[in-house]
Amino acid sequence: MNNETNSSHNGSSSSVQRDTSRPLTEEELDRYSRQMIVPGMGKEAQLRLLNAKVLIIGAGGLGCPAAQYIAGAGIGTIGVVDGDVVERSNLHRQVGHSTSRIGQPKVLSLITHLKELNPLPTYIAHTEHITPLNAADLISGYDLILDCTDNPATRYLISDICVLLCKPLVSAASVQTSGQIIVLNCPPTPQGLLEGGPYPPCYRCCFKKPPPANAQLSCGEAGILGPVVGLMGVAQAGEAIKILASNLHIPPAEGEERRPVEPTLLLYSYSLTSLMGPFTFRALKMAPRKKSCFACGEGSQERLTLEGVKRGEPNYEFFCGLGAGPKQGVLKEEERISPREFVEKVQTQKEGKYVVLDTREKEHFSFGSIEGAVNLPFGKLLSKAAQLKRSGEMTPGVEDLLPPETKVKDGEEDVPIYVVCRRGLDSQEAVEKLKEMGLDKGGKRKIVDIAGGMKAWKEQVDPSFPYL
Amino acid sequence: MSAPRPPKGHFNILYFASASSHTGKDMEALPAPLPLRKLFDILEDRYRGIQETVLDHCLVTINLSYVDMPSSEDEDGEENAVVIQEGDEVAIIPPVSSG
Repeated sequence: MNNETNSSHNGSSSSVQRDTSRPLTEEELDRYSRQMIVPGMGKEAQLRLLNAKVLIIGAGGLGCPAAQYIAGAGIGTIGVVDGDVVERSNLHRQVGHSTSRIGQPKVLSLITHLKELNPLPTYIAHTEHITPLNAADLISGYDLILDCTDNPATRYLISDICVLLCKPLVSAASVQTSGQIIVLNCPPTPQGLLEGGPYPPCYRCCFKKPPPANAQLSCGEAGILGPVVGLMGVAQAGEAIKILASNLHIPPAEGEERRPVEPTLLLYSYSLTSLMGPFTFRALKMAPRKKSCFACGEGSQERLTLEGVKRGEPNYEFFCGLGAGPKQGVLKEEERISPREFVEKVQTQKEGKYVVLDTREKEHFSFGSIEGAVNLPFGKLLSKAAQLKRSGEMTPGVEDLLPPETKVKDGEEDVPIYVVCRRGLDSQEAVEKLKEMGLDKGGKRKIVDIAGGMKAWKEQVDPSFPYL
Repeated sequence: MSAPRPPKGHFNILYFASASSHTGKDMEALPAPLPLRKLFDILEDRYRGIQETVLDHCLVTINLSYVDMPSSEDEDGEENAVVIQEGDEVAIIPPVSSG
């Protein structure tokens, strides 16, 4: 859906004649006065903002704060892309939505908010997710793109299309207590051009390969603090305004001398316990466009084309390991038990001793667990196992792998261990790892995965369980 | 905010995002000098599995500047090879993709 919600400008085509020398209206003079008098701004810079078209992809934790400042600054045309609806768990960080708009498409909710803030811009709602099929059509109509999305496949797609269509890209990301922001492909440079460089990098120049699918953290699973992601979104708007006000989104004209902008990645981390201090900003000097880059390097025109992307080449989902799905069938049938069976066959049989190991993070564990469960976060289990392996102390040190609360008396070394996690994936790997370390005593001790994790526990056993 | 100075004969290594969760640390000091191409081997030795889950796709900076990671077999250009020096600050920065 492409719904133009204000027709005072012609906002849909990519090549309109822009009147860059009109007088400002009374309302514009008043509304933008405080930013226009900042040194380096002035009327010309404000007119550039008024004539600019910005596409914000993602109306979430980054997109909401970014959009507020983009709209406030008077960017002439603002497009927003997102296919999700507002949920209650979004609201601690997605400040452009509201409790009364839960269930509404995020794009419409955010635009409602932005119109309140500034009714002058033209807002364009794209209530759909960006995909290889629609990406070029969405991006081609704008001068500058903000990547406010939440997954690697989409990040590579957006960067590739921005290279192909010669658009500057302001990319940010955030999870848990850290965030990053970088300006890419700015000034926009033709694909494959290396001579006469250095030229600005694209996302692939910086991050050649995505992390393996099981190492990718989403905000839903790993958590995110509102101000951390908010800060990154605000910084995106700041970069966008700077680029547009100084015309950096337009490639230099022939013979035009321009001081090159050093590609810089701003890294923010926010942790009370860090040795680096309670918060850290680091501005990292990045490398320019890489000769070997798949998308913008030497010979990239042969590898990456608009037609190719539409046909499914490259395959972004596959590249980011999403096609594979979760690891299945690693464990034998007798090594798995459903939560319901666990209650019936294990918990209610009072005489049999057993240990329940919960491998969720301690924050998840703090809300509740299976009765008697002992917490050993999955990451800790893996690093402890690696440590033991390194020291060559497989036995008897292997018992130290488990928390001391699980210690059993002599002669009870065969009490079974039941492993549970959040959704039933880590627990399977944990069972494997414990067996590999020899904790199953060559098969004498049962180590069993509670299938489906605490999510299945809530569904099958205890609907009131506080599953997060 | 700056990190504490590394002890004599050491450099600081900072771990961000998933590098920090994998190592259970924000930073530590490692012995210097160290050829850059040996860095990943040393980390893999300390933190089994970190190469595949973190290092293979992260970016590395020395003193706030991006460096290209040479492969550990790469013996060419020995004389031009980057060496991490005492007092340097190395950072391991995995991509973050959520938002």
